[in-house]
Amino acid sequence: MAVAPDRESGRGGVPFAMKDPLHVPRERYYDRAFFELERERLWPHVWQMACRLEEIPASGDFVEYEICDQSIIVVRQADGSIGAFFNACRHRATELAKGDGRFPGGQIVCPFHGWRWNLDGSSSFVFGAEGFAPECLDPDDLRLRECLVDTWGGCVWINMDPDAPPLLDGLAPVPAMLDPLGVENMRVWWWKEVILDANWKLAQEAFLEGYHTMQTHPQIRRGPDDEAPPQLLAYETYARGHSSFRNGTQRVKMTPDQSLELSRIFWEGQDAMTLEKDIRVMASVRDHPDAAQSFPRLAVDAIYEDAAARGIPIAPYGPAMKLWGGEVFAFPNYFVLPQFANALCYRSRPYGDDPERCRFEVWSLTTYPEGEEPGPPQLQGRYAKDDTEHWGLIPRQDFSNIERQQRGLHSRSFEQLRLATEWERAISNMHESLDRHLER
Amino acid sequence: MTRVRVEPLGADLEPEPGESVIEAAWRLGYQWPTTCWGQAECMLCRVDVIAGEEATVPQGADEELALRTRLPASAQRPGLRLACRLQVRGDGVVLRKRGVVAPGPTGAP
Ligand code: FES
Ligand SMILES: [Fe+2]
Repeated sequence: MAVAPDRESGRGGVPFAMKDPLHVPRERYYDRAFFELERERLWPHVWQMACRLEEIPASGDFVEYEICDQSIIVVRQADGSIGAFFNACRHRATELAKGDGRFPGGQIVCPFHGWRWNLDGSSSFVFGAEGFAPECLDPDDLRLRECLVDTWGGCVWINMDPDAPPLLDGLAPVPAMLDPLGVENMRVWWWKEVILDANWKLAQEAFLEGYHTMQTHPQIRRGPDDEAPPQLLAYETYARGHSSFRNGTQRVKMTPDQSLELSRIFWEGQDAMTLEKDIRVMASVRDHPDAAQSFPRLAVDAIYEDAAARGIPIAPYGPAMKLWGGEVFAFPNYFVLPQFANALCYRSRPYGDDPERCRFEVWSLTTYPEGEEPGPPQLQGRYAKDDTEHWGLIPRQDFSNIERQQRGLHSRSFEQLRLATEWERAISNMHESLDRHLER
Repeated sequence: MTRVRVEPLGADLEPEPGESVIEAAWRLGYQWPTTCWGQAECMLCRVDVIAGEEATVPQGADEELALRTRLPASAQRPGLRLACRLQVRGDGVVLRKRGVVAPGPTGAP
């Protein structure tokens, strides 16, 4: 890719490269050439979450996954495995399937001239084949072009690069951190999205730190004087751009009523991680004789007892529970925030061909009693960032900053983000990993 | 179990809950005219419901739209349904459909 001479170019010809972990050049969030470099060198070579597994339970079920100018169809095969194919007819390029749905006859049919493929991508029919030169109908060449595909964490992941490392290597250490928390058993409670006038990275960076909580979410501040010391969270960064944060060892002492109130604010504020059913269970131990001393412990025990009684396959007690209330980020754009038998998940993608717009999705997951898992989830809807009916207070507060930030980036006064070494390292870690992709 | 008769072949199909008539036929190895294979696009799977209409599940929006817009007026008539969308909820449904081929050595899909 040609880089205009007036652009600052760093290693490997990457424009606006990261020079140190303390600063992020602003152009990374709006420059067209940078965006196009991501489109060529990041997205076609990285494992990305394509859909939830429960969206395609039966043979022939499909979901279209779109990323920038590419469309991939993810198809459940007759043998239960999953295939992923570039969504382009081998005849004249028509996209074969849109959105989601089923191929009930086990055939993927082009709507233009009726060419067909089996679910495994092999060509099954060419209408008027006698009208083509044989070299145009070589069966291998007619096969739908495949992507790498694998599953982890209740999701289907795809990678367009045949030489990519295996999924679990690419995601490490994320699976090892989250598997003990039972993420495989979680199912969608709800799923919504918002279109934001902001770069996809800028949007997700609002969720890579808890440092903004004090000012952005005053209702969930913890602490005796309504002060939330930022060091309540412990941040870690990993290779390949992944990161996490969790509650640190320093605890704010709360009465049972304060704990319950905070839980209620989280539930009402996002209907995720802590759900109404959890509040009911936690409230049941409020008057326990030991509540004043050890309410958090009693509340967790009560949640486990309730899960056992209802047949909910909550993951066993273990050190991974320290991630409850924290977050795990899987580069380039997927988040899991676990709590009890629940989790909140995010995915941020470019929207359209615009570096300054993104499609930001939110899933609230929970674990259902065995045998009572709901059917395939549907995107509930696309809601405006300030829609009070469909977004809780917490995401609305987060969304409200993002577009202002994107506009602020263009201010003639502004050059680069400056990041806290202690609280915001996950952001530069993500950018550094991005540059390693762009350098290739 | 609900049973559907397909004339003139005289085939009896037993669609499972949630299964369309064409899917039941495919599952049992019948061939059924189609070029879109279940996307409510090609109209070739359409059938006449000649008896037992009260035991059919009413049309959804996509079937209604397809039948209204993807067939010439001369082909439209009461009782017309798409086999790739038609579901039944009781016995007694009889359909007329030419071109359905029974399972067999040459009839396997
Ligand atoms: S473009 Fe697909 S069949 Fe012609
Ligand atoms: Fe926030």
